[in-house]
Amino acid sequence: MVDQFNWILTIAIFFPIIGGISLLLIPQKEYIKIFAILFGTIEFILCSYIFLFQFTNGIGGPVLVDLNSTWFPTNIFNVQYYLGVDGISAPFVLLTGLLGLISIFASWNLSNDHRIREHFMWLLILQGAVVGVFTSLDFFMFFIFWELELIPMYFLISIWGSGRKHYSAMKFVIFTILGSAFMLVGVLGIYFSTDSFNMIELPEKLATAKLIIPASVLFLLTIIGFAVKLPVFPLHTWLPDAHTDAPTAASVMLAGVLLKMGGYGMLRVSASMFPNELHQFAWILALLGTINIIYGAVITIRQTDLKRLIAYSSVSHMGFVLLGLSAASGAGVSIGITGASMQMFTHGTITGLLFLSIGFIYDRTHTRYIPDLSGLAQNTPFLATGLIIAGLASLGLPATSGFIAEITIFLGAFQTWPIFTTISAFGVVLTAGYVLWMIQRSLFQHKLEKFNTLTDASIGEMFPIIVLVISIIGIGIFPSIISDMFSLGLQPIISNLQAIN
Amino acid sequence: MTIIHFQFLSAILFSLGLYGVLARRSAVLILMSIELMLNAVNINLIGFVAFRGFGQEIQTFGQVLIIFVITIAAAELALAIAIILRIYRNKNSVNVDEMNILKG
Amino acid sequence: MNSFITTDELLLIAPEISMVILATLVIILDLVIKNKSILNFVASFGLLVPIALSFNLLDGTSQFAFAGALRVDYFGVFFKIITLFATLITILISEKYSKKFDDYQGEYYALILISASGMMLLASSVEFITIYIALELSALPLAALITFIRIRSSAESGIKFMVLSALSSAILLYGMVLVYGFTGTTYIEDLSQIINRSLINSELTFGGGALLLGVILITCGFAFKISSAPFHMWAPDVYEGAPTPITAFLSVASKAAGFAVILRIVYSSFSNEQIGMDWSVLIATLSAISMTLGNLIAIQQTNIKRLFAYSTIAQAGYIMVGLAALSSLDGGQDNAGPAGILFYLFGYLLTNFAAFTVITLVSINTNSDSISSYSGLLKRSRLLTLIMTISMISLIGLPPSVGFMAKIYIFGSAMDTGLQWLAIFGVLNSVVSAFYYLKIVKIMLIDENENSEKIQLTTNMSLAGLSCVFGIVILGIFPGSIIEVAHRAVESII
Repeated sequence: MVDQFNWILTIAIFFPIIGGISLLLIPQKEYIKIFAILFGTIEFILCSYIFLFQFTNGIGGPVLVDLNSTWFPTNIFNVQYYLGVDGISAPFVLLTGLLGLISIFASWNLSNDHRIREHFMWLLILQGAVVGVFTSLDFFMFFIFWELELIPMYFLISIWGSGRKHYSAMKFVIFTILGSAFMLVGVLGIYFSTDSFNMIELPEKLATAKLIIPASVLFLLTIIGFAVKLPVFPLHTWLPDAHTDAPTAASVMLAGVLLKMGGYGMLRVSASMFPNELHQFAWILALLGTINIIYGAVITIRQTDLKRLIAYSSVSHMGFVLLGLSAASGAGVSIGITGASMQMFTHGTITGLLFLSIGFIYDRTHTRYIPDLSGLAQNTPFLATGLIIAGLASLGLPATSGFIAEITIFLGAFQTWPIFTTISAFGVVLTAGYVLWMIQRSLFQHKLEKFNTLTDASIGEMFPIIVLVISIIGIGIFPSIISDMFSLGLQPIISNLQAIN
Repeated sequence: MTIIHFQFLSAILFSLGLYGVLARRSAVLILMSIELMLNAVNINLIGFVAFRGFGQEIQTFGQVLIIFVITIAAAELALAIAIILRIYRNKNSVNVDEMNILKG
Repeated sequence: MNSFITTDELLLIAPEISMVILATLVIILDLVIKNKSILNFVASFGLLVPIALSFNLLDGTSQFAFAGALRVDYFGVFFKIITLFATLITILISEKYSKKFDDYQGEYYALILISASGMMLLASSVEFITIYIALELSALPLAALITFIRIRSSAESGIKFMVLSALSSAILLYGMVLVYGFTGTTYIEDLSQIINRSLINSELTFGGGALLLGVILITCGFAFKISSAPFHMWAPDVYEGAPTPITAFLSVASKAAGFAVILRIVYSSFSNEQIGMDWSVLIATLSAISMTLGNLIAIQQTNIKRLFAYSTIAQAGYIMVGLAALSSLDGGQDNAGPAGILFYLFGYLLTNFAAFTVITLVSINTNSDSISSYSGLLKRSRLLTLIMTISMISLIGLPPSVGFMAKIYIFGSAMDTGLQWLAIFGVLNSVVSAFYYLKIVKIMLIDENENSEKIQLTTNMSLAGLSCVFGIVILGIFPGSIIEVAHRAVESII
């Protein structure tokens, strides 16, 4: 590979980081929000450009490559500055840009004297770091950004959160560091076996290299890090706490984008570098996926806190990603893995919208306790509509993006794991149950007097809701916008897996 | 007298000294035990220099080291005594068990 | 061998000589000048001379001086520069603190300088007698410095340090004498040849148990210096009682000097594959114990200096990973382990001093070292909070900080030499350490404190803190240059 620089990705990563830090230098607090939205919009435009570029000029390999091999002394430690997007990462970059902007809007109601500078600074840094995760093609850089994202999230939860925010923030950090500690060992093991961090070349190199740790151990070490993030059943306990106590903006980012880092890692690392091991351990993924779906859904039903409810529903929905991945060991590999990727993307927009509407409702009612809410739809029809659309998409109503993703996953997984898939299908029923019940209890039924003074969404609040609704329904009707791109990016992984089958 | 005798004597003195440092409660006695250890080192050195059959030049190394050990031990002791005196003025005791402001 | 001292040899130890001259100058100024605040200025600016002289020696050649007792090479000069930076920052952050010492400020600075000169000498000593003298030269002034505050705890710390350092040097000496007696040499280099020869002629390894005992005793003696388990007990007590800048100095400079000598001994004596493996297991075990012990006990601490004492024990454990990786030589990449040690130490220098800048200021302001006195620091000084937060991030090993890079580098060297279990141990320990480092961050940023009086920074203090933070971040993003320097340094001692 020759050194080259297109700058777009570098700018997309470092613009929000530098922009965020520069917010600290703005003396008037009134302008902070405006600048933050400006930065968020520019970043969104950059991310859309990246997505569209891949959409129109997409080739098999990475595009918009930024490669500089003089960053480290490569004879000593072969780390390169290597960025690029391909079919797998471009949709996630778009998702990050979109939800980043939306999370800034989600902080619309944050009062000016509540450390507003730092709040937007951390949000923007977080966004930059996540774009870094999705665009890094050097494993070492991937790991740097993976860890970098922790610091902003820790502060966002522990400063602007609610409830047991310190506990939740600490739990989030410790769980993630624990996962990435294992991942680090895996990354180093891969490096010292192949002498390369290049994620594009690694699948090929790993197939022939003499490994210093057995491949199955490397696979498990790396996937633990992703499993914590996704989160997978026994490692999921941080998620409800973190989501519940995080401020709305952080919840949107956490559920919408950060969880996807785990799934993205599974695609980029576990599936593409260790196809044999994925094949071998697929039954575990299927099993854990099913547990995630059913257990998550059952727990969700009995939640009384709106945010906690959505948080557990995320656990359930991320189970579908695992189930899709587990199709790797059967005939449905192509459909299954594409479905898993679709699910990640759509879940990002749907949960984003759920958290957003709930966050705005909370700003008005100051309670998220479902029994205390009732008949909100009459006072805040716009917010209620947003919540209903998101809820329906979440339960997989046709013509929303949720439907497309789930149906593809079932189609793919059923060919390999008919029993697990059948059990998981009950998850959809449970989902319908908790979503509709939640909507009925909080939005309809009799109208409460104390909510008479509530006002509906302001312009600043309407905008993100409208954008997300458009994206949910748009993808529901034209799924090929992203599914084609995913299939293009996943092609090498799928053909590898098919060869094993 | 052979080198073995020196070795033996030195090892015994060193062990006694080490025991003293660990077992004694008075700071002054601990210092004396350390002196004992340093002297064990010197005796060992003397044995090596005198009976190991080293050449002239190598013997010099040993002798130089003995001189330095004696000198530095004196300096060490002076400093340690000064510190102990300060503790003594402070609370009329040099018992290390009573030095318990810092939990150990 | 040449018994006369030549001018060239004097030039080779010019940095040390200039340090001693500077110390003398400070003492003389102390006698004649009433305004004591000038002493800090003189001491810190005067340090630029030895720093310049050291950089002047950094020409990549290895030269012997004083009948081969000193070896001035890239490696030694690297450690001299680490020591000098540590000294410089110690003096800078002592500015306000030293007002406590009234009339003894001159002695305070002079003793720091003399102790540093001992450490610098230690970094290039390759002969046992010189090592011993340099060691004592660095330890005795430190004992005096630890006792400098007129409170009982300080004197107790002093006597503890004194006794343990005398004990460790007695053990060290006994080891040296055994080695001398059985090999007839006091030079590290000859020692390695003798060990290698005994291996080739398939005699007993080390030419017998006594020599082995000698080498073990020497290693134990230095384990005290670097406060590694099981010789770590002195660290918490001494760190707590000592003046805060001296605690910082102890935790960085003293440790670096200890590692310099250990590296030299280990590198030349155990680089043989056969013995290397055995030592690797031993050192790896000690390293694992050190980090686990340090981290677990640090969690329960309520005094920030004690917390840092345990954290420094844990850090010693991480650094020893590089030492274990060196000796195991299991097809490892060239010198990644020892170069990692140098890299880590440099990063640790920046990180720890950044933290201690804050600790010193807070302890002057609140007259307390308890962690709770850090609550609401954000409202009292934004700059201090920033410095401390970045330092904590670096200590945990999160990007973008030098701590992250150094940790990955040093654990990488362990992976490479077949010590995968140690690397896993290390990363898990980093997770544990996140508990107590983040606790400090949380207390600073989030907890409330009724005392919201602003903390004023002096120019010196902010210069010290900010330059450390700057170094942490820059080396965290572009560590290439320092890694290359570390590799050059390690190659120069072969």
